[in-house]
Amino acid sequence: MTTVNNGYQDNNNNPAVAATKQPLPPAKSVDTQSVLKRLQSELMALMMSGDGGISAFPEEDNIFCWKGTINGSKDTVFEGTEYKLSLSFPTDYPFKPPKVKFETGCFHPNVDVYGNICLDILQDKWSSAYDVRTILLSIQSLLGEPNISSPLNTQAAALWSNQEEYRKMVMKLYKAV
Amino acid sequence: MAPSMEDQFSDGADSDEISRNFICCVCLDLLYKPIVLACGHISCFWCVHLSMDGAHESHCPICRNPYSHFPSICQRLHFMLLKMYPVAYKRREKQTLEREEETRRFSPRFDAYGGGSHTDKKLKIEADPADSSITVFEFKLCPDSSSNRVKKHFADLMQRQPVSLPQDFVIPISKQTSGGNPQGATLAEEENDVLKNNLDQTCEQLSIADVQCTACKQLLFRPVVLNCGHVYCETCFTIPVDERFRCEVCQVLHPSGFPKVCLELDHFLEEQFPEEYALRREAVQLKAVHLHDAPSTCSKNSGIQGFKWSSVPKEDYCTWLKDNGPKIHPCAGCDSCGMYPIVGDRYRCKDCKEKMGFDLCGDCYNTNSKLPGRFNQQHTPEHKFELVNWKLKQEMLRLMVEQLGDGSAAPYLSGISLEQPGDPIAALVSIDDAEETAENDVNGLAASDATPEL
Repeated sequence: MTTVNNGYQDNNNNPAVAATKQPLPPAKSVDTQSVLKRLQSELMALMMSGDGGISAFPEEDNIFCWKGTINGSKDTVFEGTEYKLSLSFPTDYPFKPPKVKFETGCFHPNVDVYGNICLDILQDKWSSAYDVRTILLSIQSLLGEPNISSPLNTQAAALWSNQEEYRKMVMKLYKAV
Repeated sequence: MAPSMEDQFSDGADSDEISRNFICCVCLDLLYKPIVLACGHISCFWCVHLSMDGAHESHCPICRNPYSHFPSICQRLHFMLLKMYPVAYKRREKQTLEREEETRRFSPRFDAYGGGSHTDKKLKIEADPADSSITVFEFKLCPDSSSNRVKKHFADLMQRQPVSLPQDFVIPISKQTSGGNPQGATLAEEENDVLKNNLDQTCEQLSIADVQCTACKQLLFRPVVLNCGHVYCETCFTIPVDERFRCEVCQVLHPSGFPKVCLELDHFLEEQFPEEYALRREAVQLKAVHLHDAPSTCSKNSGIQGFKWSSVPKEDYCTWLKDNGPKIHPCAGCDSCGMYPIVGDRYRCKDCKEKMGFDLCGDCYNTNSKLPGRFNQQHTPEHKFELVNWKLKQEMLRLMVEQLGDGSAAPYLSGISLEQPGDPIAALVSIDDAEETAENDVNGLAASDATPEL
């Protein structure tokens, strides 16, 4: 079994011809129908579950792009805040993770100024059994438990030890948005 | 057109009554051609295969238990689910077959449990002439499944589906058939009859015979599934002296230590057959003297670690890119033992025309494995093999480019791509073959500790 079109037979002889002749397919082709189906199932489950503090819904005309919201958990410096996120799903979802970004500015050690999130399950630790719900819950818990050792926002990481000051900073930047 | 048509084919209309035990965690639908991993978690054939990592050790989507061999489909479960949910299972079959025809990669087919292969019907599919790697492809149809005509018809229908919004996604079969295609109605009715017949046939209850142990022939108690797909009671499976677990039926080695109990199936059996299950439990407890403590199922360290096959390095690209690393063939798997990716020698069948190809690892080649391919390849013992010339760098670079084919190439590739836009693979390969600069690039990449995301 060979999963990618590595076409070692043609390509050994004339790589240029072989490569131009066949347009590059995605490494593991999955049709969009099954992705749609999975995303619909997730949407249904998410709406039925009624998890407090997180929500998500597809954008108007594109089920591959979702908008999500996360509320800061109680007893954390993010209590009382609400953050908007965007999730964009690749065509080989759920075998590849969606791209998740904060749309609202978030002062957090593992979130940069553009809203990019550094979270292992969105990168190399992704598993096809994760879904929108688990992603949002993971990000929600990341808010209260940042990974200080590899920060994207060093200022936030440095301030984290002083929770009172940190809370002030969060509120100041949050209101500014 | 009967109104029930739409219900039967629309998504999930039949999935309300499906037990939660048998919903795949990846596609969130009824399990189709289920595979049980060594950790006891179940997923569909394609869900497992697409979740596997073509370049490293793979991990269970649920518990991250590492594994390196693609297991075979558990036929016991396959036929059990077919019997329990005939309508939903047929729907899954149809969906999967359409997808397989699009990708021209096929999953194995079973006719009856234990699988003699009937070849009453053969369907020839003319391959896309643009693709030179395949000319004519042949695969078998199960005699009990619906006719080719109907299958093709539905495949056509599905292709015409608008692919956009959730509300549009419910498949309006009846509208389409009453529209352009005059034959549509009769064909669809024929299909409907097939489904009805199946429904009638399978109103009978699931019996113990459907869920018995391969060894003791009694109701499965704490079932474990080996890599070959055969199911045993945990207690029916003896630990051999050399700790090389081998299936008693097919004699295939189970690669990754003692498998863990498939809890989903176990819970289901306990619910479904409470009395028989209790009897089995008592019987097993009576001879508990012979047993070690039943290993708890979901922790990595419990259970007995058996014989381990050469395992794939985890995230170590550095050794790969030097010449002394293990011989890894990215995205190539052994069709006999399921090792994926193949580590060591790789033999490729010169005569198999399928897109998937037919490969064997060195061990399976040397033991003259006669097992059929994992993807319904029409491989026969007369076919000739050739040893694959191992060019890892070339393979790796090709792999990177293909995986990043959507243009979101990693920064270290962008420089190369810019020099020769349009043809990144050729650019990479030619550089790799001809010049030492590429060598330096690659070493630089390894040294800079930037793990490429594959």
